[in-house]
Formats: sequence, structure tokens, C-alpha cells
Amino acid sequence: MFRSSQPWIARGRNTSLHSNECEALAAKAAFLNGVWYNTILTLFVLLLLGACAGVPSATQATTPKATTSSSGSTSTGSASFPTTPLQLRTPDFGSSEQIAPTVKVLASADPTLIIQFPLVPSGIKQKFPNATGLVTVLQDTKANDFDAVSITVDKMPPNVKFTVFFTEIAAKPFGHAEYVGDVFTRGDGSGESTFHLITFVAFAADARQSTVQSADQTDAASGIQLEHVGMWFDGVNSARQVLGNPTIPGTPFDGGHGALHAGPQAMTDGQTLPVI
Amino acid sequence: MHILQYARRTVLSASCLLLLVICIQVRIATSAIADPSNRQLQVGHAQSNPEAARLLRLKQSGHLAQTVNILNSLPPTTILQFPLVPSGIKQKFPNATGLVTIVRGDRDNSTSDIVTVDVQKMPPNITFTIFFIEIANKPFGHVEYVADLTTRGDGSGESIFNIISFVSFAMDARNPGTSQDDREGLTSGINLEHLGMWFSSLQDAQQVLNDETLKGTIFDGGNPPLHAGPQAMTDGQSAPVF
Repeated sequence: MFRSSQPWIARGRNTSLHSNECEALAAKAAFLNGVWYNTILTLFVLLLLGACAGVPSATQATTPKATTSSSGSTSTGSASFPTTPLQLRTPDFGSSEQIAPTVKVLASADPTLIIQFPLVPSGIKQKFPNATGLVTVLQDTKANDFDAVSITVDKMPPNVKFTVFFTEIAAKPFGHAEYVGDVFTRGDGSGESTFHLITFVAFAADARQSTVQSADQTDAASGIQLEHVGMWFDGVNSARQVLGNPTIPGTPFDGGHGALHAGPQAMTDGQTLPVI
Repeated sequence: MHILQYARRTVLSASCLLLLVICIQVRIATSAIADPSNRQLQVGHAQSNPEAARLLRLKQSGHLAQTVNILNSLPPTTILQFPLVPSGIKQKFPNATGLVTIVRGDRDNSTSDIVTVDVQKMPPNITFTIFFIEIANKPFGHVEYVADLTTRGDGSGESIFNIISFVSFAMDARNPGTSQDDREGLTSGINLEHLGMWFSSLQDAQQVLNDETLKGTIFDGGNPPLHAGPQAMTDGQSAPVF
């Protein structure tokens, strides 16, 4: 006769057992069941406790033990973090005879060169005399693949698109120009845009006339230097509407969309000497 | 014993509930993928992107270079890619490759385009300048200096910059003139619809190409004049690439 070592199996399969024997087996099975579930439950609780113990507390995670070295730097185990700010220096950016007086060269950490200069209203001066603009140009002087240009404006005509150009001359007739990006104003007349492109040594050239040269901040360079920044109405129609003048002629200061569809200049750096 | 039986039932019930929740989640995910509108989002047909479809037609009619790929991007984005091939470095680096990717957001509501230039198997540790140009090959015509790219020791490199590219143009505002743009119609100035890479330094070019007779070019900013080297990579196309 088959005698299973597992009573709960035998109980289900051998129905010819005596009732007392069945009761004993049932009691034994219940006992073993209890032991089995107890073991699983204990293991589960132990695993849970182990997992909790492995997670560092919030305090431990955010405030590692720090020791300060004699040099002033703080060390946390093998890692080392500075505790003092980087030393700032004001890099050279042309002489006062070569750079517009409105240009501020910021003291910044090596290897950055950061300059700032304002934009003032030109074509919108009558209607928006309090309009302001600030241009910030950042260059990594060592890995100079391109510059970062940020333009921030305020109190401008609201909900209007303006184009941004680098130009040869700040005022009319502007000369050679390079279209670099757009700025959209919000409902309150504020707006900002950031571009990544060659700025400090931007130039215009026709490669068929390679002998054309011009002076930049340091010396002569190829092509025509583009050292000013201006903003134009993207569309002559919006300019006519904003300025209340239906006779304003179109200008070339926007790409695509048909010739001379742009409006007049809105903001200028207004300088004779270079700003970039 | 009763407590253990209760715990056992609770564990079993919780397991069943968890299984049910997993089944529901799987069902939701499967139905989302099967939904035609979602499938369109994933595939992104050019037909559903008018700007991409327009560029595709321009390419088919020969108004955009055959090397240009117009990607099946979702509106309102326009994404195109085209290769660069070696020009001045062809003898020494015949396997050099370049890939340009231009991403534009909404045609009328983006402030600039994102241009990525990736190169491989180029002369190592050399800085190249990147220009938008009027003509892909000599004499190149009007040009705009947009960025630099410095290769690593293995000859690979990349540069990413934000600038107006699809409608870039050169002009002298005293006499801007007009030019015909296949995508935009008649436009102001001279359209710049090609891209090339130049040696930033003539000395680098002379050394890399082992040719002391190479002459300086205008293709870098700053002084002195004509300190740049020859063109290294070109899109090599007659029709516009962007």
C-alpha cells in the first residue's frame, strides 16, 4: 500500500483510513501547515527588515560626514568639494577706443568672457519710450566652438515677433547684416531668446573677393566685421499697426516670406564703436 | 491557527488583486498601441506634416538636393538630414564622413533652428570652421560663419548650434537685392543654402595634408586675414540642401 510521507497528500488520496487515524493525520497536517506558514512569514519579515536596514535614512543621505582640510576644501570620504568661490578676473576685450562705452565686461571665472550691453528703442521710441533690452554674450575662450547670446527685452510692443541681426553699422544704412534669430514678446511686452553661434568674430564676406578686410577689436581680419546688434519688426504690417503708420515701407530684415516684408528697426545698440 | 489561516487568506487575496491590477494595466497598454490615432503619432506620416510633405515634393522636383532626407517628423517640426563628403581632405582622409541634422520647430513661431554636425574619420584634434554658403563648391560666393567643430583623437566630433538656417541669407542693407528661394519664393538678400567645413588654421591644413603650398582663405573669423585653410568637407550639391 502506498504510504505517503506527506500526510496531506495521503489524506486526500486514501479515503479508506480509520476515522481516528484521519483525525490524527488532520491534526498533524494542520500543525505542519502552521509551521510552514510561520516559516514563510518569518522569512518575509526578515527580508523586509533587511531591506529597510539597507536604505540609508534621509539624514544620512543628505548630510554625509564632512571634514575640512587645512587648504579650506571640504572632503567627504574620497570625494572633495570646494567651499570657496572661484576667483574672478576681468578678461581683456579690446581697448576703450575700440569698444563702445556701453559695453560692460563682467568679472568672471576663467575661461569665460562675459559681456553685456543695453539695447535702446529706435523705431519704437515714440510709442514705447521705456522699452529696454539687454544683450549678454558668453564665450568659453579656450573651447570656443561658438558663443551663447541671450537677449532680454521689456516694455516692448506686446505679442509681436522681432528679428535679431548682427550688423556692420548700428544705425542706417546698417551695411552688411546676418540674421541670427527671433524674439517673441509676451502680452506684457517682455521676451527673451538665446542663440548659440559665432558672435565675437562674426563677419560677412563674399568669398569671390577674398582681399576684403576690416579691423576687429584686435587687428585686421577677413571680410566685413559685424559688430552691432539690432532688432527689427518681423512684418511690416505689424509695424504699421503697432506704430499707427500705414506708410512705413518694407525692409529686408527677415528671411523668407517674400522680399522686403520686414518692418523698421525697433531696438538698437546705438553705438558707433563695436559692441561685439 | 485562526490568525495564520486569516493571514494566508489575506496573502492569497492580495496576490489575486495584484494579478488583476497587472492584467488591467496590460490591457490598457495593448489597447493604446492598437488605437489608430496613437499609431499615427508613433509612425508620423509625411502626409500629416504639410511642411515635410512640401519639402518632399521639392526634392522630387529637383529643387532640393537628392542627398537630403526629410524625416517623418510630427508637425509642426521639420527635420532634415544630409551628408557631408570630403573635399580638400579627400586624398588623405577618403573615408571621412559628415552628417548634418537641422531641426526646426513651428515655421512661424520658433526663434531659431537647431543644427547638429557630426563627423567621423576626420583629421584628429583639428578645429574646423562651419559656414553657410551660397554655392557648395568654389568660389563659394557669400558666406556666413556659424560655428566651429574640434575633432577628438579618433577623428570624430560634433557641434550643435542654434541659428536661423532654413531662411538664412546674406545681404548688404544698402543694396540687399533679392533671390529666388524654392521654398519661400522671392526673398531679400542672397540665400545661403549650402554648408561646408574649413580648416580653421592654414598651418594645420599644411601639416595634415602635407602640402606647404596651400594658401590661406577667408574661412575663419579674427585676425590675421586669410589665416584659415582650405575646405575640408562639403555637401557637394548644386541644388540647395536646406
